[in-house]
Amino acid sequence: MFKKALLALPVALAVGATAHAQTPPEDVLQGLIDQIDSTYLTQSEMNIMMMPDNPALWTGMDGEDLFHTPRGPNNVSMEACDFGKGPGVLEGAYVELPRYFEDTNRVMDLENRIVHCMTEVQGFDPDDPAVTRRHGSGSDHMQIQTYIAMQSSGMEWNNPLDHPLEKAMRDAGEVMFYRRSGIADFNCHTCHGQTDKRIRASVLPNKDVGEEWTKAISWPAFRVGHDNVRSTQHRIRGCYWQMRMPRINPDGDASIALMSYWTDAARGQPAILPDMKR
Amino acid sequence: MFKKTPVAAGIAALASMMIVGGVAVADADNAHYYTEMTPHELADYLIFEADGFFLDQEVQEGGTTHQRMVQDDMHKACSVIGGGDPDQETLQAVREAAAESIVYPEGGIQLGDWERGRELAWSGFGYRVGHRTDDHSARPVGGNCYNCHQMATDRTGGNVGPSLTAYGKTRGTSEAILKYAYDMIYNPHVYFPCTNMPRFGSSGFLDEQAMADIMAYMFDPESPVNE
Repeated sequence: MFKKALLALPVALAVGATAHAQTPPEDVLQGLIDQIDSTYLTQSEMNIMMMPDNPALWTGMDGEDLFHTPRGPNNVSMEACDFGKGPGVLEGAYVELPRYFEDTNRVMDLENRIVHCMTEVQGFDPDDPAVTRRHGSGSDHMQIQTYIAMQSSGMEWNNPLDHPLEKAMRDAGEVMFYRRSGIADFNCHTCHGQTDKRIRASVLPNKDVGEEWTKAISWPAFRVGHDNVRSTQHRIRGCYWQMRMPRINPDGDASIALMSYWTDAARGQPAILPDMKR
Repeated sequence: MFKKTPVAAGIAALASMMIVGGVAVADADNAHYYTEMTPHELADYLIFEADGFFLDQEVQEGGTTHQRMVQDDMHKACSVIGGGDPDQETLQAVREAAAESIVYPEGGIQLGDWERGRELAWSGFGYRVGHRTDDHSARPVGGNCYNCHQMATDRTGGNVGPSLTAYGKTRGTSEAILKYAYDMIYNPHVYFPCTNMPRFGSSGFLDEQAMADIMAYMFDPESPVNE
């Protein structure tokens, strides 16, 4: 059903909005802009205008095919995989990640959960390019991530903190957010602790303003300057690179802890999925 | 001065508990220990022990990326959860340590080449490591001043820090103001403890020549900053 509908994109989103609880990302963004006077949210008129034709929508469509096609040595589709709300259930799954998964005894983000699905359920070798290639609109990961994330557009960020590990990871992520180190002395707060601040011409989102922060963490997003759809892990990697800190390991718990914290910081705000960014 | 914390010792103890068969790894078997650590202990554990970052890469200043995650006294004092400043006593300690760190050039503070300083103030090149690593033999390290400061108005600067437009024109070039600017670049915590601004001198980020050239860009009457 959804599969067919997505062939015509604008129609697909309309169908999605009625059949499920998703809201088209451009409407989510407009709702936020109507609520709050924010130079961050409104900094690119061009991007706001282009949102209905966001190239990430096509990436998500490719992801839909990948998701529902039996793949890997075990020849099963990802419908057999649990992203937190039961096997194959994607609606609202992404806004509740990272979360604790009993089968791995680990708090996992979307990217790590897709790796788990590919290797444990579909039987891919961990060194298979399907598993290892994480970046670029052409990668399986970006396509699948975008498809899954789109099923949460307009829903409120709500990563669970009931399990002690979820709480521990969120709290460690908070420490990381404020943790200064390195040759340039930065932390995340250096750039994301104030409103209306710019790095050169780019307006920075303030972590403490929910309406801004939900856009900041709404990945996957098409990054116009990169001409590619990018993930949360890609954003985190870029931030640490700019901070002159070591490359973060996307498979490590440090990145997931940071994500647990920053998702908690946007709790209750609607996700813009997929988004467009500079 | 700086209060010593027992965090490191606690981590060592916990980490040793987790070493099974001689190898400490981040996997599901260790996860239940996470809840036994304080948030600071867990953050340090995830960074240093649990493969959170690639810590073995060589860095431009010598050594490895590991040292980029190790906190010095200023880092610890100024990493306040929720933002804001630490208490007055801690701020004073940061300020004093900054004052002690500042080294002045032999022969006093000099202004260099403002044209080179203009490019260095604009350039964000230097000390980046990871998926792409800056090769310092290819280009000089920039100060990236425009990221946070507006300088000459022909290029767009950020506003995380104050505008430096017409800096020399409005302030002159007295010995006092040159020392102030030098100190601010070398270690700004001497005037603004726990500031966001990097310690470009005491960290070794910029060399003496680069600082002199950037200062010339700020002070030289010919510089577009002072147009």
